[in-house]
Amino acid sequence: MESYLSSVNAGSFFLIVALVLTFITIMCVVFLVKSYRAGIKIGMDKKILNKAIVSSATFTLLPSISILLGVVALSGTLGVPFSWLRLSVIGALQYELNVAEIAAQSVGLSGLRLEELNIGAFVTIALVMTFGILGGVFCCIFFLKKYMGKLQQSPKKEKSGKPGFGAHATTAMFVGLCAAYIGSYIGKAIPRDGYDIMPLLVALIAAACMAVFEYFIQKKGKAVLENFSLAASMLIAMAAAVVINVAI
Amino acid sequence: MNEQEKVKFFEEFNNGLHRLGRITLIAASLLLIAVPFMIGILNDVSPSGTGFLSGFAKVGIIYIPVAIVEFLVYAPMLGVGGSYLSFLTGNVTNMKIPCAMNARDIAETEVGTPENEIISTISVATSAIVTTLVIVVGVILLVPLQPVLQNEALLPAFNNVVPALFGALGLKYFAKSPKIACIPLLLMALLCIFVPAAINQTSLLLLPSGGLALAIGYVLFTKDKL
Repeated sequence: MESYLSSVNAGSFFLIVALVLTFITIMCVVFLVKSYRAGIKIGMDKKILNKAIVSSATFTLLPSISILLGVVALSGTLGVPFSWLRLSVIGALQYELNVAEIAAQSVGLSGLRLEELNIGAFVTIALVMTFGILGGVFCCIFFLKKYMGKLQQSPKKEKSGKPGFGAHATTAMFVGLCAAYIGSYIGKAIPRDGYDIMPLLVALIAAACMAVFEYFIQKKGKAVLENFSLAASMLIAMAAAVVINVAI
Repeated sequence: MNEQEKVKFFEEFNNGLHRLGRITLIAASLLLIAVPFMIGILNDVSPSGTGFLSGFAKVGIIYIPVAIVEFLVYAPMLGVGGSYLSFLTGNVTNMKIPCAMNARDIAETEVGTPENEIISTISVATSAIVTTLVIVVGVILLVPLQPVLQNEALLPAFNNVVPALFGALGLKYFAKSPKIACIPLLLMALLCIFVPAAINQTSLLLLPSGGLALAIGYVLFTKDKL
């Protein structure tokens, strides 16, 4: 386990990730500068452009800290550099963990468990996580120009007032995903050979924390908590796992 | 600049963004794909072909349709530059779209105008840069904490990171769509209680569970009961 952790936290890995992220950051800076200059050229007020930059930067600060908490949660099993890379580009915590779990099972592990992980499995898991998330990027590379062109050409349709099934489909998909995992934790908690009640307890604690957050967000209007609810609920439940393990 | 010149300039600007976006996205994708191989080379291991194909098939069946739906729904909201950047830097729904919407509101631009497109791109680019910087600072602070994070006492915490995620996420999604959630949750629980072999096959359970939830969602949607 120690050799696995030192491999996934190696200095060279940090350097590789830093190089990739530097490239992506430079790309963002180029888009920012080009758009800023275009705005000036078409006669937009500099003050408005600067305001857009400042408001976007301040708007992003809090959610970014919550992403950082996600890096902490992921780093225990996948190491700091890869967690840093994955949560800086494309994905989000829920995608990364789910895919890592699926990939871990596909290489013959029982799941994303530290004592079972090795560097060979990690490389395969990392590759699945990377390829699995590139769908949106490939859509942009191959179809964005055509799609945006069509949208600009097509006459605006009268709105029926009812949104399509698309938005509900994604929610339904995630409901199914959660149902499969929670169902497996219930099954695992049934007393018999090799049973383990911890995953169900941790899931219940995380759900209870999330319920408290949702109460404050929905009923008390504390919308700012939305940025932290997922990562904070997870970290509290993970901390509870340590306490329960000591207590049992 | 008159209106006609503005439209022409904006068309050329957008074409330039498409060219730049495609080239940089291809380069970034190749870099991202190269990372696992480089780690493999450094550690003298190679990825398992069968493990990769089996994992990718299970992941792709869920996430490729999600990616297509997200692309179709969110690209018009983000505009050209905003889409290239958002789909590469991630956190689209929870950060990039609200951030771009907020910037547009502040700048008071109208949908479909060049000004709106420019503000969206500036907003998404700024957001991505700030996130990267915040995480860099966090990672620098995290490195000295590694001996603490690797302490064996914390093993139960990191071994239960997936249950923690699905507990929290489950509450959120089940509360949002209880009518969709009941049957898949009940069936998956019963399956795992009566067929213990299914417990460690969650990657396979996702298919019937996701399919069932989608079907229930669609039926409820057509009956206007969602």
